[in-house]
Amino acid sequence: MSTATTDRRTFLKTAALASATAAIAGERAFGLPVLNNDAASSVQWHKAPCRFCGTGCHVQVGVEDGKVVAIAGDQRADVNKGLLCVKGYHVGMILYGQDRLTTPLLRQGNEYVPISWEQAIDTVAQRIMNAPERFAFYGSGQWTIPEGFAAQKFMKGGLGNNHIDPNARLCMASAVTGFLATYGVDEPAGCYADLDNCDVLIMWGNNPAEMHPVLFSRVIDRRSRGDEITLIDISTRRTRTTEHCQHYLEMKGHGDLAIANGIAHLLLKNDTYDKQFVEQYCNFRAQGDTPNLFGEAISFDEYRKRMEKYTPEYVEDCSGVPADKIRMLADLFGRRDVRITSLWCMGMNQHTAGTAINCLVHGVHLLSGHFGKPGDAPTSLTGQPSACGTVREVGTLAHALPGGRVVANAEHRKQAEQYWNVPEGRINPQPGYHTVKMWEQFCTPASAGGDIDTLWVQVTNPGQTLPNLNKLFNAKKNQPEKFLIVSEVYPTATTQLADLILPAALWVEKNGIFGNSERRTQQWFKMVDPPGSARDDCWQTIAVAHRLLELGHSGMRDRDGKFIFNVADDNGNDVPAWEWEHYYDVNVDKALFEEYRQFTRLKHKDLAPYEEYVRERGLRWPVVQQDDGTWRETKFRFVSFDDPYVEDGRDIQFYHSTTNDDRAQIWFYDWQPPAEVPDESFPFMLTTGRVLEHWHSGTMTRRVGPLSRAMPRAYVEVNPDDAMTLGIKTGDMVLVESRRGGIELPAWINGRGRPPRGTVFVPFFDETVLINDVTLDAHDPFSKQPDYKKSAVRVRKISG
Amino acid sequence: MTDNEKFSRREMIRSGVLGRWIENLLGQQSPAHDCQRDAHEPHLSPPPISSRRYPEKAADLPSGGPTRSRTSIPVLRPPGAIDEPSFLAECTRCDACLEACPHDAILHAPLRLREAAGTPMIDPMRQPCWMCDDRPCIGACEPGVLQHNRDDVMGTARITEETCLAYTGSFCTVCVEQCPVDGAITMTDGKPRIIEDKCTGCGVCQYVCPAPHNAILLMPALQRSVRTKPPGEVQHD
Repeated sequence: MSTATTDRRTFLKTAALASATAAIAGERAFGLPVLNNDAASSVQWHKAPCRFCGTGCHVQVGVEDGKVVAIAGDQRADVNKGLLCVKGYHVGMILYGQDRLTTPLLRQGNEYVPISWEQAIDTVAQRIMNAPERFAFYGSGQWTIPEGFAAQKFMKGGLGNNHIDPNARLCMASAVTGFLATYGVDEPAGCYADLDNCDVLIMWGNNPAEMHPVLFSRVIDRRSRGDEITLIDISTRRTRTTEHCQHYLEMKGHGDLAIANGIAHLLLKNDTYDKQFVEQYCNFRAQGDTPNLFGEAISFDEYRKRMEKYTPEYVEDCSGVPADKIRMLADLFGRRDVRITSLWCMGMNQHTAGTAINCLVHGVHLLSGHFGKPGDAPTSLTGQPSACGTVREVGTLAHALPGGRVVANAEHRKQAEQYWNVPEGRINPQPGYHTVKMWEQFCTPASAGGDIDTLWVQVTNPGQTLPNLNKLFNAKKNQPEKFLIVSEVYPTATTQLADLILPAALWVEKNGIFGNSERRTQQWFKMVDPPGSARDDCWQTIAVAHRLLELGHSGMRDRDGKFIFNVADDNGNDVPAWEWEHYYDVNVDKALFEEYRQFTRLKHKDLAPYEEYVRERGLRWPVVQQDDGTWRETKFRFVSFDDPYVEDGRDIQFYHSTTNDDRAQIWFYDWQPPAEVPDESFPFMLTTGRVLEHWHSGTMTRRVGPLSRAMPRAYVEVNPDDAMTLGIKTGDMVLVESRRGGIELPAWINGRGRPPRGTVFVPFFDETVLINDVTLDAHDPFSKQPDYKKSAVRVRKISG
Repeated sequence: MTDNEKFSRREMIRSGVLGRWIENLLGQQSPAHDCQRDAHEPHLSPPPISSRRYPEKAADLPSGGPTRSRTSIPVLRPPGAIDEPSFLAECTRCDACLEACPHDAILHAPLRLREAAGTPMIDPMRQPCWMCDDRPCIGACEPGVLQHNRDDVMGTARITEETCLAYTGSFCTVCVEQCPVDGAITMTDGKPRIIEDKCTGCGVCQYVCPAPHNAILLMPALQRSVRTKPPGEVQHD
């Protein structure tokens, strides 16, 4: 052992250099992270959050000669404590795919012609100038906070146009409506520390071993150190997560609604609900004649009455989960001596009753009092690095304003106009088009009522990720009056139909700020230059805004007649940031962030000054200044022991209660079947999702050699019994076909995931086989989030 | 004790898997070179003795064995290869196996492999042997230095636990999933284990391993059995 220790020390000393030279010389060398820059090494290390998922791991980025040459887990980061997942270790490689877009490209007929940035910006501005109200902006949870804030201000505070929506609509909109309807304010009350403290972890349609591996590692690490923790997987198929769980509850699509109600039924029947908690902190709520997020008050007795039919046996009928398992869950929730954390992500959000199931799971935690203690928490996870930070907090949604405000509220509009210093009445009170509607309007000819002509996409890939692509994306083809602008880093399914492609800077090629799943705001600085003439998305927005100002659009001026994105340097001199040569003369990110900070105090989502985030590995809001001048983050909201906004003498206070009485709402929703169920013609249920090695639509990870080799292409998982009936073996080509479209892909039997009979699974990362040609565009009535998890399909062997 | 302190030495080791990307790792180094190099990493526990293993030290080799000979550098041969001295003597360098391989996995051994130069070999980091059911490379081999119906073992893979994502706190199941030989890699508690008696050394696991520092060592078989059929016999089974 002593030899090994000595050697580790030697490795530590030489690792930084070794890793750097290894990357350059192509030699194989063993590397351990050295975060303190060794004098002998010319590699400079900087912090950044990982570019991929919503977990928000911090990485150390090694830079040498203007290139990212090494990545290490950041041991100072509370989220990941030095650990990364397989994608994270390779995150630097996403910058160096061979086909990076490096120059603006304009479509002329079937060809793309390189044009200058001046022409490109002018083209966008002219399209908008011609018909500002027929322009829409489509972004994502990969927008940095300043990028999203700039786009938001440009649209709502500049053009007076609310047609701005993000891909996060497809991803966590139902989580938002669930939080709003229950607590009156978005985002989880707890944080990842709940994972370190719970005794029971219930995963509702969630596969963290693949989708949030570092978080799941935190849990498995506890177990390996001897902690007893019960893992329960409620799912429609066996996954890598299932293998680590004591209980696997296999449910039919939408069974979760019945299961949650079944738990509530037994808590009431057995009298094991938390009476004191409910009496002190909760109201009961249900939908009335005009469904909305406020609903109507119902009495406790009424709630009890409505829950009466959800006996374990009835729940078994609806969900397919045995009645005994429902009793097991209810017994756990009925105990006061265990701490229970619920985790969910797309399984509950991509759901035509997404708002309902989110509310019901919150309701089970509230009814049983499993809330407000470390480890007792209903916690939703996000899939994008700034779905929370940019979309939910900056509010880049068709109906929202920064800081949890909405356009429909006159007071909110007035407040935003004041912070933005734009004339009163600038913000349009009418919400804009949500994602599905926006693309429908864009794909519908003007003559048939399609009133969006120009659509600008930044940092996402709707040509792959929208549901029912033939209707919502491919229909754009052959409509010359429609103009699609795409800011991208690589050619994608979306750029295929683009009329103008704008090459963008990626990740550490620009300054940025993300906000992760646990309310943690994370900052990084630009470390390397983007390739060719690729430029920051934020700059692109500001440059177009300035060109519009030159063209005479009055919306680009504030109350004082100044440009709405006017930025000044430390001496108060204006900097022409819309000119690329001057964009980095001043920290535009910081200027936008400080402007945005004002909004964050409106709904107790307070952010600290920019400089605090430069120092930290992220801080969880509300971040409140202490008497000694320091800034303190908040791990647990609504509870007196941690949240500074809970009044003295109160243990728990839901200070944004929709009923203005500091109480949370326990909702009743009935079980309902999925929007599409298998029938004779389409006898299988198709469910879609991600895989560990690839992130989102794979545009970055598929260009990383090791990840691409590990998971080269999409496949369809088929149950072995179904496969036998259909004569399908692993590797056979299979046609998966719905009423909307079909694709061919190889079968994988007993592979990574194991669907039950009657279910097939296809991942969506592979742009060569677009499963969203097949999926359904039915969506939740409140969140407008589509259900990618339940489409009826038929399956046929093509060749073996 | 703070949260940070709780993440102990184990954490350090797990985070020790430094993310680096090294495209085209091989092509620079022969598999043999890799094995020797990695086998001498002091932190590796000594492997169990096995006749199919590549020996760690010169002392492990049978005395008077092939070490003294210039043919001792082990080369990862296509499946069904006969013993190395006969292979070298009888392979006609006709390239029929190279052309027959549907995966382009077989290439010419580079000059630095001395007398093996130009003979067919597999570099799994470039393209491994995917273990085709019908072994077209064997079918194409006229001199019969590749033979059907014999021990197909090209080598043996070994997992370096210190760099394997599954052993260092992360999750990964790629080698288990993609291994073309039934039962050659099993998984217990999320951790892969190679069953040496079943491993053929095809190199698929090494090729697909996404760990930042490849966690698979591949040792070409040092000794292969002599031919079981006379040279020139038609290979049609």
